[in-house]
Amino acid sequence: MALTLTPEIAWNQLPDTEWNAAAARHLLRRAGWTALPADVERATKDGLSLTLDRLFPDSVPVFEQPRQVAHMVTEAEELQQKAQGVDEEEKRLLYREFQQRSRNAIVDMTIHWMRYAARPESAAFAKWVLFLSDIYVVGYEKVQRAPLIYKHFDIISRYAFAPAPLLTKAVSRSSAMVQYLDLNQSQKKAPNENFARELFELFILGEGNYAEKDIKEAARAYTGFKIRKNGEVYFQANQHDTGLKTIFGETGQFNGDDVIRLAYKQRAAGAFVPHEMVKFYLSDTMIDKSYLFSLGDQWKSKGYGLQWLVKTFFGSRLFFDQSFRGEYIKSPIQFYLGLVQDLDLDIIPVPRLVINPLRQMGQVLFDPPNIRGWVGGHNWINSTSLAARRNLSESLFAAFYEAGLNEDEKLDVAAARAQGHGAFTVDATRFAPLLKLTPDEVTHKLVTSLLAQNPTPSLKESISNYLASAEDIPAEHLRRIKRSIVTLISSPGYQLT
Amino acid sequence: MANNTPLSSFPTTRREFLRSSATRGIGLLAFSQFAPSFLVNSTLAQAPKAEKDRSILVLVQLAGGNDGLNTLVPFENADYYRLRPTLAIAKDKVLRLSDTEGLNPVCTAMQGLFKDGKLAIVQNVGYPNPNRSHFRSTEIWETASDSDRVSGTGWIGRYLDNACSGTPEGDHDPVAMHANTLNGAPESFIGEKPHSTFGLGGYGASRKDNEETRHLLEAISSGQVMDHSAEGFLKQTLMNSLVTETKVQKVINGYKAQANYPTSAFGNSLKNVASLIAAGLPTRVYFVTLNGFDTHYNQITAQGRLLTELSTGLAAFQKDLEAHKLDEQVVTMTFSEFGRRASENESKGTDHGTSSPLFVMGSKVKAGLHGTAPSLNIPKNQDITFSTDFRSVYATVLEKWLENPSEAVLGGKFPILPII
Repeated sequence: MALTLTPEIAWNQLPDTEWNAAAARHLLRRAGWTALPADVERATKDGLSLTLDRLFPDSVPVFEQPRQVAHMVTEAEELQQKAQGVDEEEKRLLYREFQQRSRNAIVDMTIHWMRYAARPESAAFAKWVLFLSDIYVVGYEKVQRAPLIYKHFDIISRYAFAPAPLLTKAVSRSSAMVQYLDLNQSQKKAPNENFARELFELFILGEGNYAEKDIKEAARAYTGFKIRKNGEVYFQANQHDTGLKTIFGETGQFNGDDVIRLAYKQRAAGAFVPHEMVKFYLSDTMIDKSYLFSLGDQWKSKGYGLQWLVKTFFGSRLFFDQSFRGEYIKSPIQFYLGLVQDLDLDIIPVPRLVINPLRQMGQVLFDPPNIRGWVGGHNWINSTSLAARRNLSESLFAAFYEAGLNEDEKLDVAAARAQGHGAFTVDATRFAPLLKLTPDEVTHKLVTSLLAQNPTPSLKESISNYLASAEDIPAEHLRRIKRSIVTLISSPGYQLT
Repeated sequence: MANNTPLSSFPTTRREFLRSSATRGIGLLAFSQFAPSFLVNSTLAQAPKAEKDRSILVLVQLAGGNDGLNTLVPFENADYYRLRPTLAIAKDKVLRLSDTEGLNPVCTAMQGLFKDGKLAIVQNVGYPNPNRSHFRSTEIWETASDSDRVSGTGWIGRYLDNACSGTPEGDHDPVAMHANTLNGAPESFIGEKPHSTFGLGGYGASRKDNEETRHLLEAISSGQVMDHSAEGFLKQTLMNSLVTETKVQKVINGYKAQANYPTSAFGNSLKNVASLIAAGLPTRVYFVTLNGFDTHYNQITAQGRLLTELSTGLAAFQKDLEAHKLDEQVVTMTFSEFGRRASENESKGTDHGTSSPLFVMGSKVKAGLHGTAPSLNIPKNQDITFSTDFRSVYATVLEKWLENPSEAVLGGKFPILPII
C-alpha cells in the first residue's frame, strides 16, 4: 500500500476540506454495511465528527436476547431437575432433546441478529461487535449451547467501548470462551496452555510478541477456572496454582487478571487491535508496522479506550486515503446486510432462506471455522460463492415463493408479518419514479448508490444503452431497470466496498 | 451419438467462446490481459480428457419429507390399515413388487423399471435419534453426520475433497452441478476445499432475464484492470462462471432428448442433466430437487402428483440415457429428509416422521427390495424405527460406484449393501 502520509500524521483527523460525499460513502460503507443516498447526504452536511458520533454513540441499542434463547435458560434448569433420579438412557434422551432445542435456538438467533444488524441505528455497532467477536472467537459447533453464545456476544457488546483490558477480562470469564478453549480442563498439576496461548497470540499481542516461557507461566496463573453444569464460570481456589510466576520479566503470585494486566503493558498490545481493524475494515494488504505503532502508542497512552480507538481510526486521514477506496471485498454478511439495506427489505424469517445463502457464500454467523476466525478478503470469493451472491440477489428480486415453503416455514412467515416484517423481496413498482428520468440519469443514480468505485465509462454506457432500447414501453423499461440493478449487484463492482 | 456434442470439442469451447464474444464487440477478450488460468495453461488444450468411463451420481432430493408408507405400501400389514383409516391404499390398487410390498398406484413407470431390473429399493432408511425439523434433518442427510453432531461440510463435498484434490479452480468444468434446488447450491456440495460447482436453471430468474444479465455482466465487466487488484480477481472468477454458463446453455439448447420427460421444472432439470452427461462433461455429481412433499393436508392428491412426476421423470431419464448408451455410466439415487408418521392426522395428511424407502436406479444396480420393511406394530402417533442407516447407502455408493473409500468421507465404517 503506497501511503504518502507519514506515520506521525496518519491518524490525525481528516481535514474538513477533504470531507465530501465520496468520503462519507467510504465511511458509511466501511463502518456499516452500505451507504444509502439519504445517509450520504446527511453525513456530508453534518460533517465528519457528528457522523462519527452518530455511528458510534455513547449509548447503543443492544441485541436483545431472543425469546427462544431465553426459554432455553429455564429449560436448562428444568432439565437439571428432571435428570435427577432417572436412568442413563432417560438422561441421554433428555440431553438430546435439549441439544435439538439449542440448535433451533441458535438458528433463530441468527435471524434475530441479522434483523438487528440491518437496522440503520444499530448497523455500525453490530459490525463493531462482529469485529470484536472475530478476535474473541467462539463457535457454536463446539459450544453447542445457544444461551452461552448469546451471553458471549452480550459480554462483548457491553464492553465494546470500554477499555480493552476490561473487555479481555470479561471475555476470560465468558462460559462460551472457557469451554471453547478448554480452560475448565486446566489443572493445577497440568495447566492447559491453550487459553494462555490464544490470549497472547489472538486476543492481546499477536504472534512473535511473547516467549514460550511466558505462555507456560501464564497457563499456571490461569488455573482454577471451572464451569458449573448450568454453564456458569466459577473460580475453584484449590485448583489454582498460587506459586510465583515470571511473565514478561515480572515475578509475582500472579492470577489470570494479572496476566491480562501484564500483557497490556507490552507495546505490542497497542498495535494489535489496530492491526486487526485494518484487516477487518480496511485492506487485504497490511500497512507498515510504523503506522500501527503510531496509533497503538497513542491508544495505550489513552488507557486503551475502545470508543476512542474506533473514532480515531474511522476519522483518520489514513482511513480516508484514496488507495483504500472501493478496494475491499465484502464479507458475505456485509453483502447480505448491505443488500437488505440497499433494497430496503426485511430479513426473511425462514432459516433455510437466510442461513443457506450465508453458508454457500462462506460465512455462517456464530460459527467461524476455527479460533482464528474468518480469513476474509480474496478467500471469500470462488465460482461457487460468487454464484451464491448472484443467486441471493436474484432471489430477492423474484416474487416471494410462498408455495415452496413447508408448513413450519409458513408459520414463521405469518408470525413475522404479524410483527410488521413483510417486505421479504423487492416490489419492482417502487422503481417507477425512475421511469421519468433519462437512461443516463437512471444509470448515474444506480451506479453511484450501488458501486463503491467510480464505474468505467463503458460500464455506464452498457447499462444506459440497455435501458434506452426499451424507453418507450413503461413495463419493459421497468423490467430493464430491475434487471440492471440485479446485474450491478452480481457484478464485480458491488462485491467491493 | 449424433446428437452428442463431440467430446473433443470441449477444451476449445472456452477459446471459441472468447472469440465469439470478441466479435460481438463486447465480451470477455478484455479479460485475457490478466490471463485466465485456462488460457495460459497450455496443457489444458488436451485436458480435461474424455470422461466416458467415469461413473456419475445423480441425487434426487424429495424435499419436504416423503411419506414412505404410501410410496412403498405394505399391503398385507393389518397395522398399516389400522394406522391409516382414510389414507391407506387399498390392497387391490397397489402395484405389486412382492408378496407383501407394492408401489403407490401412480408409480407405474417405476414398477416398469423394477421389473426391468433397473430399480433397487432400500426399505426403511433413516438414522438414530431422528430429528423432525425439516431444516435440521436435511442438514443431517446432506452432511451425513450423527444427529447430535453438527458438521460444516457435506458428504459430496468431502468426497470431492478426496477425489479432486489439487485441481485449482477455474482450470476445469464444474465437478458438481445442481438444478431446481430450493435455494442455490446444496449443503452436500460444501467441502473443506472450494470446488467448482454450478447451478443449472439460472439463479431462479427466467431464461430471458438470465441471458440479459449474462450479456450485461460480460459487457460491464470488461475493461482494463490491474492484475492483482481485488477487482481483477473478481472479474476473473466471474468470467470462469460466465464461460461455464455459456457452455452449459449451448449444450442444453442443442440437446435432443430420446424420451418424453414430464413437462415440469423437475422433468426439465433431469433432461438438462442428461444433456450434460451426454456432452461428456467431467461433472461427477448432479443434484436435482423435487419439492412439496410436506403433506400435512390432503396428502393423496399432493403426493400423487409428486410421485407421478418422480416416477415418469426417473423413467424418462433412464430411457434417455439408454438411448444415448450412457446408462451404464449413471446411478440415480433419491433421498428425503424424513418419512412421515405412520398414523395419519386429522387433516387427511401425515406429520413429520422418521425413516422411509430410498430408490437407487441404473443399469448397474442390483434391482429388487433390499433391507427390511418397518415394523408397524406401534401405538398411534409413535414413529417407525429405521432398519438401514442412510450412511450405509452412501458408503455403498462411494465404494461401489464412485470408487472412493467411504470411511474418510463418512467419518466411520458403515455396512455395504448389495445394491450396486
